Amino acid sequence: MKKRGYGIANMWYGIGNTANHNPSGAFVDILDDGTAIVLTGCADIGQGSTTVLAQIAAETLGINIEDVVVVAADTEVTPDAGATSASRQTYVSGNAVRLAAKNAREQVLAKASEELNIQAERLSIYQGQIWVGDNPSGVMIKEIITQCRSEGVLTLGHGSFDPVTTKLDSETGQGIPYATYAFATQVAEVEVDTETGIVEVKKIVAAHDVGKAINPQNVEGQIEGGCSMGIGYALLEEVVVKDGEIQGPGMSTYLIPTAMDVSEVYPIIIEEYEASGPYGAKGVGEPALVPTAAAIANAVADALGIRMYELPLTPERIIATIKRK
Amino acid sequence: MAEFHLEMKVNGKPIVLDVDPGLRLLDVLRDILHLTGTKEGCGEGECGACSVILNGKLVDSCLVLAPQANGQEVITIEGIAQNGELDSLQKAFLEAGAVQCGYCTPGMILAAKVLLDHNSTPSRLEISKSISGNICRCTGYTKIIQAVEIAASRIATKEGADHA
Ligand code: FES
Ligand code: FES
Repeated sequence: MKKRGYGIANMWYGIGNTANHNPSGAFVDILDDGTAIVLTGCADIGQGSTTVLAQIAAETLGINIEDVVVVAADTEVTPDAGATSASRQTYVSGNAVRLAAKNAREQVLAKASEELNIQAERLSIYQGQIWVGDNPSGVMIKEIITQCRSEGVLTLGHGSFDPVTTKLDSETGQGIPYATYAFATQVAEVEVDTETGIVEVKKIVAAHDVGKAINPQNVEGQIEGGCSMGIGYALLEEVVVKDGEIQGPGMSTYLIPTAMDVSEVYPIIIEEYEASGPYGAKGVGEPALVPTAAAIANAVADALGIRMYELPLTPERIIATIKRK
Repeated sequence: MAEFHLEMKVNGKPIVLDVDPGLRLLDVLRDILHLTGTKEGCGEGECGACSVILNGKLVDSCLVLAPQANGQEVITIEGIAQNGELDSLQKAFLEAGAVQCGYCTPGMILAAKVLLDHNSTPSRLEISKSISGNICRCTGYTKIIQAVEIAASRIATKEGADHA
C-alpha cells in the first residue's frame, strides 16, 4: 500500500567560522575608463560568489555590472578571503568588497568635490556619472579619474571584514559563536510503499531567510541543490567505514540522487534584512541542506505512524521497522 | 603494443591517428585532441560527465575503447555551437542558471540534445529520464530541467516559423 505523509523541519545555522576570526580582504581598483577590477581571494566553486561580488561592487560604486571584472582566488594577486565554506562568502567577502568599493568611491568623490567645488557628502555616483543630490552633474567619473591620474592620485580601495564573534566559555559554552544566523523551514511530502519500503519524495517547499537575496536565481539554485543533497542524505547516502576504509568509495557503490530521485522543489526566499550584512545579506549554502532530511523523516513518520531514528531511510530499514511494529 | 590506426569524425572534422588500442575514447578526446570540455568523473560509467554523442546516441566515453569509435562520428560539447553562436540548449542553460560548478554541464547538454533531436516536445518526466544517467551534485536538477524546457519551446517556435 502507498501511504502519504507530510513533515516539517526548522533550522538555524551560524554564518562563518565558529567562535573564531575568519576575515576576508578585497581590493577594488577603479580604472581610467571608469570600469573597475575587484580583487578577492574568494573561490567561486559554482555557488556564484563571483557574480554576487561583482553586483555588490557595481552597486556600491554606482557603475554598471558589465563594467566590473572580478579577479578571484588567484594567490598571486588577490588578498586572502578565507575558505569557501561555512556559508560565509556572501556575508564575509561581500562585506569586504563593499568596504573596498566604498573606499574607492570615497577617493573619487573627494576629487569630484574639489573639481565641482561641492561638498563630498552631497555627491554620489550613479551609472558612471557624478550626481549632486538628486541631479546628474553631467560629469562622468571617467573625467574625475583622468584628473586623479594626471595628479598621480590612485583610486584603489581596500576593505577587510571579520565577523564579530567571541570565544566560547569552556565551562558554560556561552559566548557569541557567530555574527549572524540563517533560518529556514522546509516541508516535505512523501509517499511510502509499505510493501517495498521505497520512499518517494513528492514535493519539498523550502523557505529560507537569507537576509537579502543579492542574486535571487543563485539563491534558488543553492536551495534546490541543497534539497537534492538533503534527499540523498535522507534516503540514499551512507558512509560506512570498516577498519578505517570507506566501503562505498565509488559512484556505483555510494549512490547520490539523479534527476529521477529529486522531487519538485519550491524555494521561497525570505528577506529579513541583516544590518551587519552587505546590503542586508547573510548566507544560504549549507542551510539549504540542513532541514531536508528531518522534514522527510517526519513525513515518513506521519505516513507510517512509526518514527525512525537512523538515516538513510533505506527500503530495508523501512520494512524492518514496519515488521517490528 | 601495436598502435591502432583510428579514423573517425569528431565534430564534423575527419581525424586520423595512431593510438594505443587500450585508450578510451575519453582519453583520445581529452589528452590527444585536447577537447577538454568532456570531463571524467567516475571512470566507471556512473556519472555521465564524460558523455559524448556517438552516431546520434549518448554514450559514456569512459566506457568506449578508442578502436570502437573507428569509422564513427563523435560529437562533443565543443561541436554544438554553430558559427560561433551557442546552441539553444547552451543559451537556455545560461539563462535558467542551470550551471553551477559546471562539471556535469557538457554531459547534461549533450544528453538533452539527444533527447530534443528525437522528441522536441518532451514531458518533464521524459526530460528527467533522459538526464538520469548524468549526475549533478550542485543544482538539484530543477534549473537544468527548466533549461531543457526553455530550449524545447524555442526549438518548437523556430520549427513552427520555418514551416510557416
Ligand atoms: S566518467 Fe564516464 S560515466 Fe563517469
Ligand atoms: S553544476 Fe556542479 S555537478 Fe552539475
